[in-house]
Amino acid sequence: MNIKIKQLKFNYPNFSLEISDLSLTEGRVTTIVGPNGAGKTTLLKCLSGLLTIPPGSVFINGSDLTTLKGGQRAQLISYVPQEMTSIFNYKVLDFVLMGRAAYLPLFSPPGEKDQQLAREALTYIGLNNYAQRSLFELSSGERRLVLIARALAQQAQILFLDEPTTFLDPKNEIEILQLIKKLSLEMKKTIVLTLHNLEVAAAYSERLVFLKKGRVIAWGEPAEIMTESLLAKIYDVSFKIIDWQGHKFLLKGHQE
Amino acid sequence: MKSKFISSQRLTWIMLLLPFGLLLFSLGLGPYPLSPSDVIKTLLSPFISAINVPEAFSVIIFRIRLPRLCLAFLVGAALSVSGASLQALFKNPLINEYILGLSSGAAFGAALSLVFLGQNFPPQLAAFILAVVAVGGVLLIAGHSETHLITLILTGVIMTAFFSALLSLVEYFASPYALQSLFFWLMGNLSLATWKDIILAGPLMTFGIIVLLLLRWRLNVLSLSDDQVKALGINLRLEKILVILAATLATAAATSVVGIIGWVGLIVPHLVRMMVGPDNRLVIPLSATVGASFLILADDLTRNLASFEIPIGILTSLIGIPLFIVLLKKTQRVWL
Repeated sequence: MNIKIKQLKFNYPNFSLEISDLSLTEGRVTTIVGPNGAGKTTLLKCLSGLLTIPPGSVFINGSDLTTLKGGQRAQLISYVPQEMTSIFNYKVLDFVLMGRAAYLPLFSPPGEKDQQLAREALTYIGLNNYAQRSLFELSSGERRLVLIARALAQQAQILFLDEPTTFLDPKNEIEILQLIKKLSLEMKKTIVLTLHNLEVAAAYSERLVFLKKGRVIAWGEPAEIMTESLLAKIYDVSFKIIDWQGHKFLLKGHQE
Repeated sequence: MKSKFISSQRLTWIMLLLPFGLLLFSLGLGPYPLSPSDVIKTLLSPFISAINVPEAFSVIIFRIRLPRLCLAFLVGAALSVSGASLQALFKNPLINEYILGLSSGAAFGAALSLVFLGQNFPPQLAAFILAVVAVGGVLLIAGHSETHLITLILTGVIMTAFFSALLSLVEYFASPYALQSLFFWLMGNLSLATWKDIILAGPLMTFGIIVLLLLRWRLNVLSLSDDQVKALGINLRLEKILVILAATLATAAATSVVGIIGWVGLIVPHLVRMMVGPDNRLVIPLSATVGASFLILADDLTRNLASFEIPIGILTSLIGIPLFIVLLKKTQRVWL
Protein backbone atom coordinates (compact mmCIF):
# COMPACT_ATOMS: atom_id res chain seq x y z
CA MET A 1 0.00 0.00 0.00
CA ASN A 2 1.32 3.43 -0.91
CA ILE A 3 0.47 6.68 0.76
CA LYS A 4 0.68 9.86 -1.23
CA ILE A 5 0.41 13.30 0.34
CA LYS A 6 -0.36 16.32 -1.85
CA GLN A 7 -0.90 19.81 -0.46
CA LEU A 8 -1.93 18.59 2.97
CA LYS A 9 -2.90 21.45 5.26
CA PHE A 10 -4.07 21.30 8.83
CA ASN A 11 -4.39 24.20 11.26
CA TYR A 12 -4.54 24.53 15.00
CA PRO A 13 -4.94 28.03 16.47
CA ASN A 14 -1.18 28.51 16.88
CA PHE A 15 0.17 25.88 14.57
CA SER A 16 -0.11 24.88 10.96
CA LEU A 17 0.94 21.70 9.23
CA GLU A 18 1.69 22.04 5.53
CA ILE A 19 3.09 19.24 3.44
CA SER A 20 3.22 19.83 -0.29
CA ASP A 21 4.43 16.48 -1.56
CA LEU A 22 5.46 13.27 0.19
CA SER A 23 5.20 9.59 -0.72
CA LEU A 24 5.45 6.69 1.69
CA THR A 25 5.96 3.35 0.02
CA GLU A 26 5.00 -0.23 0.60
CA GLY A 27 6.97 -2.54 2.82
CA ARG A 28 9.12 0.20 4.25
CA VAL A 29 9.58 1.64 7.68
CA THR A 30 9.40 5.43 7.60
CA THR A 31 10.15 7.36 10.75
CA ILE A 32 9.04 10.90 11.34
CA VAL A 33 11.47 12.80 13.54
CA GLY A 34 11.68 16.35 14.74
CA PRO A 35 11.54 18.50 17.86
CA ASN A 36 8.59 18.61 20.25
CA GLY A 37 5.70 20.46 18.67
CA ALA A 38 6.95 19.87 15.13
CA GLY A 39 3.62 18.24 14.23
CA LYS A 40 4.67 14.57 14.15
CA THR A 41 1.61 13.27 15.97
CA THR A 42 -0.63 15.69 14.07
CA LEU A 43 0.70 14.33 10.79
CA LEU A 44 0.06 10.74 11.89
CA LYS A 45 -3.46 11.64 12.98
CA CYS A 46 -4.14 13.39 9.66
CA LEU A 47 -2.93 10.33 7.78
CA SER A 48 -5.03 7.93 9.85
CA GLY A 49 -8.21 9.96 9.47
CA LEU A 50 -8.46 10.99 13.12
CA LEU A 51 -8.29 14.68 12.17
CA THR A 52 -10.39 16.25 9.46
CA ILE A 53 -8.28 17.08 6.41
CA PRO A 54 -9.21 18.74 3.09
CA PRO A 55 -10.32 16.32 0.35
CA GLY A 56 -7.71 15.39 -2.21
CA SER A 57 -4.74 15.78 0.11
CA VAL A 58 -3.99 12.20 1.14
CA PHE A 59 -4.29 9.18 -1.15
CA ILE A 60 -4.12 5.54 -0.08
CA ASN A 61 -3.25 3.40 -3.11
CA GLY A 62 -4.77 6.09 -5.29
CA SER A 63 -8.04 6.59 -3.43
CA ASP A 64 -8.74 9.77 -1.51
CA LEU A 65 -8.61 9.15 2.26
CA THR A 66 -11.52 11.51 2.92
CA THR A 67 -13.86 9.47 0.71
CA LEU A 68 -13.36 6.32 2.76
CA LYS A 69 -15.91 5.43 5.43
CA GLY A 70 -14.63 4.75 8.94
CA GLY A 71 -14.89 1.00 8.62
CA GLN A 72 -13.23 0.90 5.18
CA ARG A 73 -10.43 3.13 6.42
CA ALA A 74 -9.83 0.99 9.50
CA GLN A 75 -9.48 -2.09 7.31
CA LEU A 76 -6.60 -0.35 5.50
CA ILE A 77 -5.01 1.67 8.27
CA SER A 78 -4.41 0.91 11.89
CA TYR A 79 -3.26 3.54 14.32
CA VAL A 80 -1.35 2.64 17.46
CA PRO A 81 -1.64 5.43 20.03
CA GLN A 82 1.19 6.39 22.32
CA GLU A 83 -0.46 5.09 25.46
CA MET A 84 -3.12 2.57 26.22
CA THR A 85 -5.94 4.47 27.85
CA SER A 86 -8.74 2.30 29.08
CA ILE A 87 -10.76 3.19 32.14
CA PHE A 88 -11.99 -0.38 32.37
CA ASN A 89 -9.67 -3.25 33.22
CA TYR A 90 -10.40 -5.55 30.29
CA LYS A 91 -8.74 -8.90 29.71
CA VAL A 92 -5.89 -8.72 27.20
CA LEU A 93 -7.68 -10.98 24.70
CA ASP A 94 -10.89 -8.94 24.91
CA PHE A 95 -8.86 -5.78 24.28
CA VAL A 96 -7.08 -7.24 21.25
CA LEU A 97 -10.45 -8.45 19.96
CA MET A 98 -11.58 -4.83 19.69
CA GLY A 99 -9.31 -4.58 16.64
CA ARG A 100 -12.01 -6.52 14.79
CA ALA A 101 -14.62 -3.73 15.12
CA ALA A 102 -14.21 -2.55 11.51
CA TYR A 103 -15.25 -5.97 10.21
CA LEU A 104 -18.32 -6.43 12.40
CA PRO A 105 -21.81 -5.06 11.74
CA LEU A 106 -23.24 -2.76 14.41
CA PHE A 107 -25.16 -5.39 16.35
CA SER A 108 -22.75 -8.32 15.99
CA PRO A 109 -20.35 -9.36 18.71
CA PRO A 110 -17.15 -11.01 17.45
CA GLY A 111 -17.33 -14.66 16.47
CA GLU A 112 -14.99 -17.64 16.62
CA LYS A 113 -12.95 -16.42 13.62
CA ASP A 114 -12.35 -13.06 15.28
CA GLN A 115 -11.31 -14.79 18.51
CA GLN A 116 -8.88 -16.89 16.48
CA LEU A 117 -7.36 -13.83 14.78
CA ALA A 118 -6.97 -12.08 18.12
CA ARG A 119 -5.22 -15.12 19.56
CA GLU A 120 -2.93 -15.36 16.52
CA ALA A 121 -2.04 -11.67 16.92
CA LEU A 122 -1.10 -12.28 20.56
CA THR A 123 0.99 -15.28 19.57
CA TYR A 124 2.76 -13.24 16.90
CA ILE A 125 3.93 -10.64 19.41
CA GLY A 126 4.89 -13.42 21.84
CA LEU A 127 2.27 -12.82 24.50
CA ASN A 128 0.07 -15.86 23.92
CA ASN A 129 0.12 -16.64 27.65
CA TYR A 130 -1.31 -13.22 28.41
CA ALA A 131 -4.78 -13.71 26.92
CA GLN A 132 -6.56 -13.91 30.27
CA ARG A 133 -4.46 -11.31 32.10
CA SER A 134 -5.92 -7.91 32.91
CA LEU A 135 -4.69 -4.74 31.23
CA PHE A 136 -3.80 -3.05 34.51
CA GLU A 137 -1.33 -5.84 35.38
CA LEU A 138 0.82 -5.18 32.31
CA SER A 139 4.16 -3.36 32.28
CA SER A 140 4.45 -0.41 29.90
CA GLY A 141 6.42 -2.53 27.42
CA GLU A 142 3.74 -5.20 27.47
CA ARG A 143 1.05 -2.56 27.02
CA ARG A 144 2.74 -1.32 23.83
CA LEU A 145 2.95 -4.88 22.56
CA VAL A 146 -0.74 -5.47 23.27
CA LEU A 147 -1.60 -2.27 21.37
CA ILE A 148 0.39 -3.61 18.40
CA ALA A 149 -1.41 -6.96 18.71
CA ARG A 150 -4.73 -5.14 18.49
CA ALA A 151 -3.49 -3.39 15.33
CA LEU A 152 -2.54 -6.80 13.90
CA ALA A 153 -6.00 -8.19 14.65
CA GLN A 154 -7.24 -5.22 12.63
CA GLN A 155 -5.46 -6.75 9.58
CA ALA A 156 -4.64 -3.42 7.99
CA GLN A 157 -1.70 -3.18 5.60
CA ILE A 158 -0.76 0.28 6.81
CA LEU A 159 0.44 0.72 10.37
CA PHE A 160 0.95 4.08 12.07
CA LEU A 161 2.64 4.10 15.46
CA ASP A 162 2.87 7.21 17.62
CA GLU A 163 6.08 7.13 19.67
CA PRO A 164 5.92 3.39 20.28
CA THR A 165 9.09 3.38 22.39
CA THR A 166 8.71 6.42 24.64
CA PHE A 167 9.31 5.64 28.32
CA LEU A 168 10.61 2.15 27.56
CA ASP A 169 13.87 0.71 28.82
CA PRO A 170 16.52 -0.16 26.16
CA LYS A 171 15.58 -3.85 26.00
CA ASN A 172 11.86 -3.13 25.48
CA GLU A 173 12.70 -0.37 23.05
CA ILE A 174 14.74 -2.70 20.87
CA GLU A 175 12.14 -5.46 21.15
CA ILE A 176 9.40 -3.17 19.86
CA LEU A 177 11.57 -1.86 17.02
CA GLN A 178 12.59 -5.37 15.99
CA LEU A 179 8.94 -6.36 15.98
CA ILE A 180 8.14 -3.37 13.76
CA LYS A 181 10.96 -4.36 11.40
CA LYS A 182 9.64 -7.92 11.32
CA LEU A 183 6.13 -6.68 10.48
CA SER A 184 7.47 -4.73 7.53
CA LEU A 185 9.57 -7.66 6.24
CA GLU A 186 7.24 -10.60 6.92
CA MET A 187 3.84 -9.00 6.45
CA LYS A 188 4.91 -6.35 3.92
CA LYS A 189 3.19 -3.68 5.93
CA THR A 190 3.69 -0.01 5.20
CA ILE A 191 4.82 1.38 8.52
CA VAL A 192 5.10 4.99 9.63
CA LEU A 193 6.15 5.85 13.14
CA THR A 194 7.37 8.77 15.17
CA LEU A 195 10.45 8.54 17.37
CA HIS A 196 12.63 10.83 19.44
CA ASN A 197 15.73 8.66 19.54
CA LEU A 198 17.57 9.59 16.33
CA GLU A 199 20.15 6.82 16.63
CA VAL A 200 17.58 4.02 16.65
CA ALA A 201 15.49 5.90 14.09
CA ALA A 202 18.46 5.81 11.73
CA ALA A 203 19.18 2.16 12.49
CA TYR A 204 15.65 0.80 12.08
CA SER A 205 14.09 2.80 9.29
CA GLU A 206 14.53 2.90 5.53
CA ARG A 207 13.30 6.46 5.34
CA LEU A 208 13.49 9.43 7.68
CA VAL A 209 11.22 12.44 7.46
CA PHE A 210 12.48 15.51 9.30
CA LEU A 211 9.70 17.76 10.44
CA LYS A 212 9.99 21.21 12.00
CA LYS A 213 7.21 23.68 12.75
CA GLY A 214 4.78 21.75 10.59
CA ARG A 215 7.01 21.63 7.50
CA VAL A 216 9.08 18.82 6.01
CA ILE A 217 12.69 20.00 6.10
CA ALA A 218 14.27 16.90 4.58
CA TRP A 219 13.46 13.31 3.78
CA GLY A 220 15.27 10.30 2.42
CA GLU A 221 17.53 7.45 3.44
CA PRO A 222 19.04 7.95 6.88
CA ALA A 223 22.63 7.48 5.73
CA GLU A 224 22.26 10.15 3.09
CA ILE A 225 20.34 12.87 4.81
CA MET A 226 21.34 12.70 8.45
CA THR A 227 24.11 15.25 8.57
CA GLU A 228 25.44 17.37 11.42
CA SER A 229 24.33 20.58 9.75
CA LEU A 230 20.78 19.30 9.11
CA LEU A 231 20.38 18.12 12.71
CA ALA A 232 21.64 21.42 14.02
CA LYS A 233 19.18 23.26 11.81
CA ILE A 234 16.26 21.09 12.92
CA TYR A 235 16.90 20.88 16.64
CA ASP A 236 18.67 24.23 17.23
CA VAL A 237 21.46 22.49 19.05
CA SER A 238 24.86 21.34 17.79
CA PHE A 239 25.43 17.66 16.92
CA LYS A 240 28.48 15.53 16.31
CA ILE A 241 27.93 12.31 14.35
CA ILE A 242 30.29 9.46 15.10
CA ASP A 243 30.24 6.61 12.64
CA TRP A 244 31.19 3.23 14.04
CA GLN A 245 30.88 0.17 11.80
CA GLY A 246 27.92 1.69 9.98
CA HIS A 247 26.12 2.72 13.19
CA LYS A 248 25.63 6.37 13.84
CA PHE A 249 26.16 7.76 17.30
CA LEU A 250 25.22 11.27 18.17
CA LEU A 251 26.74 13.68 20.61
CA LYS A 252 24.29 16.38 21.46
CA GLY A 253 25.15 19.91 22.50
CA HIS A 254 28.71 19.16 21.47
CA GLN A 255 31.22 22.03 21.76
CA GLU A 256 34.23 21.88 19.42
CA MET B 1 -12.28 -10.44 42.42
CA LYS B 2 -12.99 -14.13 42.05
CA SER B 3 -15.22 -16.04 44.38
CA LYS B 4 -13.53 -19.01 45.97
CA PHE B 5 -16.64 -21.06 46.41
CA ILE B 6 -18.33 -20.90 43.09
CA SER B 7 -17.16 -21.06 39.48
CA SER B 8 -17.59 -17.87 37.51
CA GLN B 9 -19.72 -19.61 34.91
CA ARG B 10 -22.13 -20.90 37.53
CA LEU B 11 -22.24 -17.45 39.10
CA THR B 12 -23.19 -15.97 35.73
CA TRP B 13 -26.07 -18.40 35.38
CA ILE B 14 -27.28 -17.71 38.90
CA MET B 15 -27.27 -13.97 38.22
CA LEU B 16 -29.11 -14.48 34.92
CA LEU B 17 -31.89 -16.59 36.42
CA LEU B 18 -32.14 -14.85 39.79
CA PRO B 19 -34.95 -12.37 38.98
CA PHE B 20 -37.29 -15.08 37.71
CA GLY B 21 -36.98 -17.05 40.94
CA LEU B 22 -37.32 -13.87 42.97
CA LEU B 23 -40.42 -12.93 41.02
CA LEU B 24 -42.12 -16.22 41.88
CA PHE B 25 -41.06 -15.95 45.51
CA SER B 26 -42.19 -12.32 45.81
CA LEU B 27 -45.65 -13.07 44.43
CA GLY B 28 -46.34 -14.88 47.70
CA LEU B 29 -45.20 -11.99 49.90
CA GLY B 30 -47.50 -9.32 51.24
CA PRO B 31 -50.17 -8.53 53.81
CA TYR B 32 -51.95 -11.68 52.66
CA PRO B 33 -49.14 -14.28 52.28
CA LEU B 34 -49.56 -17.04 49.72
CA SER B 35 -47.62 -20.32 49.75
CA PRO B 36 -45.40 -21.06 46.71
CA SER B 37 -47.78 -23.82 45.60
CA ASP B 38 -50.75 -21.44 45.78
CA VAL B 39 -48.78 -18.90 43.72
CA ILE B 40 -47.96 -21.45 41.03
CA LYS B 41 -51.50 -22.82 41.01
CA THR B 42 -52.94 -19.34 40.64
CA LEU B 43 -50.51 -18.49 37.83
CA LEU B 44 -51.50 -21.65 35.95
CA SER B 45 -55.23 -21.41 36.60
CA PRO B 46 -56.14 -19.31 33.54
CA PHE B 47 -54.41 -21.84 31.28
CA ILE B 48 -55.46 -25.12 32.88
CA SER B 49 -59.14 -25.37 33.66
CA ALA B 50 -58.63 -28.31 36.06
CA ILE B 51 -56.92 -26.01 38.56
CA ASN B 52 -59.31 -24.11 40.77
CA VAL B 53 -58.18 -21.35 43.10
CA PRO B 54 -60.21 -18.93 45.21
CA GLU B 55 -61.21 -15.75 43.39
CA ALA B 56 -59.27 -13.72 45.96
CA PHE B 57 -55.99 -15.40 44.98
CA SER B 58 -56.50 -14.45 41.34
CA VAL B 59 -57.21 -10.85 42.26
CA ILE B 60 -54.17 -10.60 44.54
CA ILE B 61 -51.82 -12.17 42.02
CA PHE B 62 -53.06 -10.86 38.70
CA ARG B 63 -54.43 -7.45 39.61
CA ILE B 64 -52.07 -6.38 42.39
CA ARG B 65 -48.81 -8.24 42.75
CA LEU B 66 -47.97 -9.40 39.22
CA PRO B 67 -48.23 -5.98 37.50
CA ARG B 68 -46.26 -4.41 40.30
CA LEU B 69 -43.50 -7.03 40.22
CA CYS B 70 -43.37 -7.02 36.42
CA LEU B 71 -42.97 -3.26 36.55
CA ALA B 72 -40.22 -3.61 39.18
CA PHE B 73 -38.53 -6.17 36.91
CA LEU B 74 -38.67 -3.94 33.83
CA VAL B 75 -37.73 -0.72 35.60
CA GLY B 76 -34.82 -2.35 37.44
CA ALA B 77 -33.53 -3.81 34.18
CA ALA B 78 -34.04 -0.56 32.23
CA LEU B 79 -32.29 1.66 34.78
CA SER B 80 -29.34 -0.72 35.27
CA VAL B 81 -28.75 -1.40 31.58
CA SER B 82 -28.95 2.32 30.79
CA GLY B 83 -26.54 3.12 33.62
CA ALA B 84 -24.05 0.45 32.53
CA SER B 85 -24.21 1.56 28.88
CA LEU B 86 -23.71 5.24 29.66
CA GLN B 87 -20.80 4.38 31.97
CA ALA B 88 -19.10 2.62 29.07
CA LEU B 89 -19.97 5.34 26.56
CA PHE B 90 -18.78 8.18 28.81
CA LYS B 91 -15.73 6.18 29.88
CA ASN B 92 -16.60 6.84 33.50
CA PRO B 93 -17.92 4.25 35.96
CA LEU B 94 -19.38 6.94 38.23
CA ILE B 95 -21.98 8.16 35.78
CA ASN B 96 -25.64 7.34 36.28
CA GLU B 97 -28.61 7.04 33.97
CA TYR B 98 -29.88 10.54 34.79
CA ILE B 99 -26.63 12.35 33.87
CA LEU B 100 -28.00 14.16 30.82
CA GLY B 101 -30.73 16.03 32.70
CA LEU B 102 -33.28 13.27 32.39
CA SER B 103 -34.53 13.09 35.97
CA SER B 104 -35.04 16.80 36.46
CA GLY B 105 -36.75 17.07 33.08
CA ALA B 106 -39.10 14.26 34.09
CA ALA B 107 -39.73 15.83 37.50
CA PHE B 108 -40.57 19.17 35.91
CA GLY B 109 -42.90 17.48 33.44
CA ALA B 110 -44.73 15.61 36.17
CA ALA B 111 -44.94 18.79 38.24
CA LEU B 112 -46.40 20.78 35.35
CA SER B 113 -49.04 18.18 34.81
CA LEU B 114 -49.91 17.62 38.49
CA VAL B 115 -49.98 21.27 39.44
CA PHE B 116 -51.38 23.05 36.41
CA LEU B 117 -52.97 20.58 34.07
CA GLY B 118 -54.94 18.53 36.56
CA GLN B 119 -56.66 15.57 34.99
CA ASN B 120 -56.30 16.81 31.43
CA PHE B 121 -52.79 15.60 30.80
CA PRO B 122 -51.40 12.42 32.37
CA PRO B 123 -48.26 13.15 34.44
CA GLN B 124 -46.60 10.04 32.99
CA LEU B 125 -46.78 11.43 29.48
CA ALA B 126 -45.64 14.88 30.57
CA ALA B 127 -42.72 13.37 32.51
CA PHE B 128 -41.70 11.24 29.53
CA ILE B 129 -41.87 14.14 27.08
CA LEU B 130 -39.92 16.55 29.28
CA ALA B 131 -37.31 13.87 30.09
CA VAL B 132 -36.70 13.35 26.37
CA VAL B 133 -36.74 17.13 25.79
CA ALA B 134 -34.08 17.61 28.48
CA VAL B 135 -31.74 15.02 26.95
CA GLY B 136 -32.48 16.28 23.43
CA GLY B 137 -31.69 19.82 24.59
CA VAL B 138 -28.38 18.66 26.02
CA LEU B 139 -27.45 16.97 22.74
CA LEU B 140 -28.44 20.07 20.75
CA ILE B 141 -26.54 22.50 22.97
CA ALA B 142 -23.44 20.31 23.09
CA GLY B 143 -23.80 20.19 19.30
CA HIS B 144 -21.11 18.73 17.16
CA SER B 145 -18.45 18.65 19.84
CA GLU B 146 -18.38 14.94 19.29
CA THR B 147 -15.00 14.51 20.87
CA HIS B 148 -15.81 16.43 24.01
CA LEU B 149 -17.63 14.19 26.40
CA ILE B 150 -16.95 16.69 29.15
CA THR B 151 -19.02 19.26 27.23
CA LEU B 152 -21.87 16.81 27.09
CA ILE B 153 -21.70 16.01 30.81
CA LEU B 154 -21.40 19.68 31.79
CA THR B 155 -24.36 20.53 29.59
CA GLY B 156 -26.25 17.76 31.40
CA VAL B 157 -25.38 19.37 34.72
CA ILE B 158 -26.58 22.75 33.45
CA MET B 159 -29.80 21.27 32.09
CA THR B 160 -30.43 19.56 35.44
CA ALA B 161 -29.98 22.85 37.25
CA PHE B 162 -32.26 24.65 34.80
CA PHE B 163 -35.10 22.18 35.17
CA SER B 164 -34.65 22.08 38.96
CA ALA B 165 -35.16 25.83 38.99
CA LEU B 166 -38.30 25.44 36.87
CA LEU B 167 -39.47 22.70 39.21
CA SER B 168 -39.03 25.02 42.21
CA LEU B 169 -40.99 27.68 40.41
CA VAL B 170 -43.88 25.29 39.82
CA GLU B 171 -43.70 24.11 43.44
CA TYR B 172 -43.85 27.71 44.62
CA PHE B 173 -47.20 28.22 42.89
CA ALA B 174 -48.61 24.80 43.71
CA SER B 175 -51.48 24.14 46.06
CA PRO B 176 -50.67 21.98 49.13
CA TYR B 177 -52.73 19.16 47.68
CA ALA B 178 -50.86 19.21 44.36
CA LEU B 179 -47.55 19.48 46.23
CA GLN B 180 -48.35 16.33 48.14
CA SER B 181 -48.97 14.28 45.02
CA LEU B 182 -45.87 15.80 43.42
CA PHE B 183 -43.65 14.80 46.35
CA PHE B 184 -45.14 11.33 46.24
CA TRP B 185 -44.19 11.11 42.56
CA LEU B 186 -40.69 12.48 43.09
CA MET B 187 -39.88 9.85 45.70
CA GLY B 188 -40.33 7.03 43.22
CA ASN B 189 -43.16 4.64 43.76
CA LEU B 190 -44.32 1.27 42.54
CA SER B 191 -47.45 1.06 44.66
CA LEU B 192 -49.74 2.42 41.97
CA ALA B 193 -48.53 -0.01 39.32
CA THR B 194 -51.20 -1.26 36.93
CA TRP B 195 -51.16 -3.28 33.74
CA LYS B 196 -51.81 -0.02 31.92
CA ASP B 197 -48.41 1.31 33.05
CA ILE B 198 -46.76 -1.80 31.69
CA ILE B 199 -48.62 -1.59 28.40
CA LEU B 200 -47.66 2.08 28.01
CA ALA B 201 -44.06 2.08 29.23
CA GLY B 202 -43.12 -1.58 28.86
CA PRO B 203 -42.55 -1.59 25.08
CA LEU B 204 -40.28 1.48 25.25
CA MET B 205 -38.27 0.04 28.13
CA THR B 206 -37.99 -3.30 26.36
CA PHE B 207 -36.97 -1.63 23.11
CA GLY B 208 -34.22 0.39 24.81
CA ILE B 209 -32.96 -2.66 26.71
CA ILE B 210 -32.87 -4.80 23.55
CA VAL B 211 -30.95 -2.18 21.55
CA LEU B 212 -28.37 -1.88 24.33
CA LEU B 213 -28.15 -5.66 24.65
CA LEU B 214 -27.43 -5.87 20.93
CA LEU B 215 -24.75 -3.17 21.29
CA ARG B 216 -23.11 -4.92 24.26
CA TRP B 217 -19.80 -5.70 22.55
CA ARG B 218 -19.74 -2.39 20.73
CA LEU B 219 -19.85 -0.72 24.15
CA ASN B 220 -16.48 -2.28 24.96
CA VAL B 221 -14.99 -0.50 21.95
CA LEU B 222 -16.85 2.74 22.70
CA SER B 223 -15.39 2.76 26.22
CA LEU B 224 -11.88 3.38 24.81
CA SER B 225 -10.56 6.89 24.18
CA ASP B 226 -12.30 8.68 21.28
CA ASP B 227 -9.17 8.54 19.10
CA GLN B 228 -8.99 4.79 19.47
CA VAL B 229 -12.70 4.40 18.81
CA LYS B 230 -12.35 6.31 15.55
CA ALA B 231 -9.13 4.55 14.57
CA LEU B 232 -10.91 1.23 14.99
CA GLY B 233 -13.36 2.34 12.29
CA ILE B 234 -16.37 3.17 14.43
CA ASN B 235 -18.75 5.94 13.42
CA LEU B 236 -18.48 7.58 16.82
CA ARG B 237 -21.17 10.22 16.44
CA LEU B 238 -23.77 7.80 15.13
CA GLU B 239 -23.15 5.08 17.69
CA LYS B 240 -22.94 7.57 20.55
CA ILE B 241 -26.35 8.98 19.62
CA LEU B 242 -27.75 5.47 19.30
CA VAL B 243 -26.61 4.49 22.81
CA ILE B 244 -27.86 7.74 24.32
CA LEU B 245 -31.19 7.39 22.52
CA ALA B 246 -31.77 3.81 23.68
CA ALA B 247 -30.74 4.58 27.26
CA THR B 248 -32.90 7.72 27.29
CA LEU B 249 -35.99 5.93 25.97
CA ALA B 250 -35.65 3.14 28.53
CA THR B 251 -34.94 5.45 31.47
CA ALA B 252 -37.53 8.06 30.53
CA ALA B 253 -40.21 5.38 30.11
CA ALA B 254 -39.29 3.89 33.49
CA THR B 255 -39.19 7.25 35.22
CA SER B 256 -42.49 8.35 33.73
CA VAL B 257 -44.39 5.52 35.40
CA VAL B 258 -42.56 5.07 38.71
CA GLY B 259 -40.95 8.45 39.37
CA ILE B 260 -37.31 8.93 40.22
CA ILE B 261 -35.66 5.82 41.62
CA GLY B 262 -32.05 6.68 42.28
CA TRP B 263 -28.82 4.71 42.56
CA VAL B 264 -29.97 1.59 40.73
CA GLY B 265 -28.08 2.43 37.53
CA LEU B 266 -24.93 3.18 39.47
CA ILE B 267 -24.81 0.34 41.97
CA VAL B 268 -26.02 -2.60 39.93
CA PRO B 269 -23.43 -2.28 37.12
CA HIS B 270 -20.70 -1.88 39.75
CA LEU B 271 -21.87 -4.98 41.52
CA VAL B 272 -21.90 -6.90 38.25
CA ARG B 273 -18.44 -5.69 37.19
CA MET B 274 -17.13 -6.71 40.59
CA MET B 275 -18.41 -10.24 40.01
CA VAL B 276 -17.58 -10.83 36.33
CA GLY B 277 -15.17 -8.09 35.20
CA PRO B 278 -15.79 -5.19 32.83
CA ASP B 279 -16.59 -7.05 29.57
CA ASN B 280 -19.91 -5.53 28.50
CA ARG B 281 -20.88 -8.72 26.69
CA LEU B 282 -21.57 -9.97 30.21
CA VAL B 283 -22.08 -6.70 32.07
CA ILE B 284 -25.08 -5.55 30.01
CA PRO B 285 -27.23 -8.72 30.19
CA LEU B 286 -26.29 -9.31 33.82
CA SER B 287 -27.06 -5.69 34.71
CA ALA B 288 -30.55 -6.31 33.32
CA THR B 289 -31.18 -9.37 35.48
CA VAL B 290 -29.38 -8.18 38.61
CA GLY B 291 -31.10 -4.78 38.26
CA ALA B 292 -34.46 -6.53 38.01
CA SER B 293 -33.62 -8.60 41.10
CA PHE B 294 -32.45 -5.55 43.01
CA LEU B 295 -35.68 -3.68 42.42
CA ILE B 296 -37.88 -6.71 43.13
CA LEU B 297 -36.03 -7.20 46.43
CA ALA B 298 -36.28 -3.51 47.26
CA ASP B 299 -40.00 -3.65 46.51
CA ASP B 300 -40.39 -6.70 48.77
CA LEU B 301 -38.79 -4.66 51.54
CA THR B 302 -41.02 -1.63 50.98
CA ARG B 303 -44.08 -3.84 51.15
CA ASN B 304 -43.11 -5.96 54.12
CA LEU B 305 -40.70 -4.01 56.29
CA ALA B 306 -43.28 -1.89 58.06
CA SER B 307 -47.04 -1.74 58.41
CA PHE B 308 -47.04 1.20 56.01
CA GLU B 309 -45.30 1.40 52.64
CA ILE B 310 -41.99 3.20 52.21
CA PRO B 311 -41.53 4.80 48.75
CA ILE B 312 -39.07 2.62 46.87
CA GLY B 313 -36.96 5.59 45.72
CA ILE B 314 -36.09 6.35 49.34
CA LEU B 315 -35.27 2.73 50.02
CA THR B 316 -32.98 2.27 46.99
CA SER B 317 -31.02 5.32 48.11
CA LEU B 318 -30.89 4.12 51.71
CA ILE B 319 -29.65 0.67 50.66
CA GLY B 320 -27.68 1.89 47.69
CA ILE B 321 -25.47 4.52 49.21
CA PRO B 322 -24.02 2.43 52.09
CA LEU B 323 -23.64 -0.52 49.72
CA PHE B 324 -21.78 1.69 47.30
CA ILE B 325 -19.44 2.95 50.03
CA VAL B 326 -18.69 -0.64 51.08
CA LEU B 327 -18.02 -1.65 47.48
CA LEU B 328 -15.69 1.28 46.92
CA LYS B 329 -13.75 0.63 50.11
CA LYS B 330 -13.52 -3.09 49.66
CA THR B 331 -12.47 -3.41 46.09
CA GLN B 332 -10.65 -0.10 45.50
CA ARG B 333 -10.93 0.01 41.74
CA VAL B 334 -9.61 -3.30 40.57
CA TRP B 335 -12.76 -4.54 38.87
CA LEU B 336 -13.06 -1.49 36.67
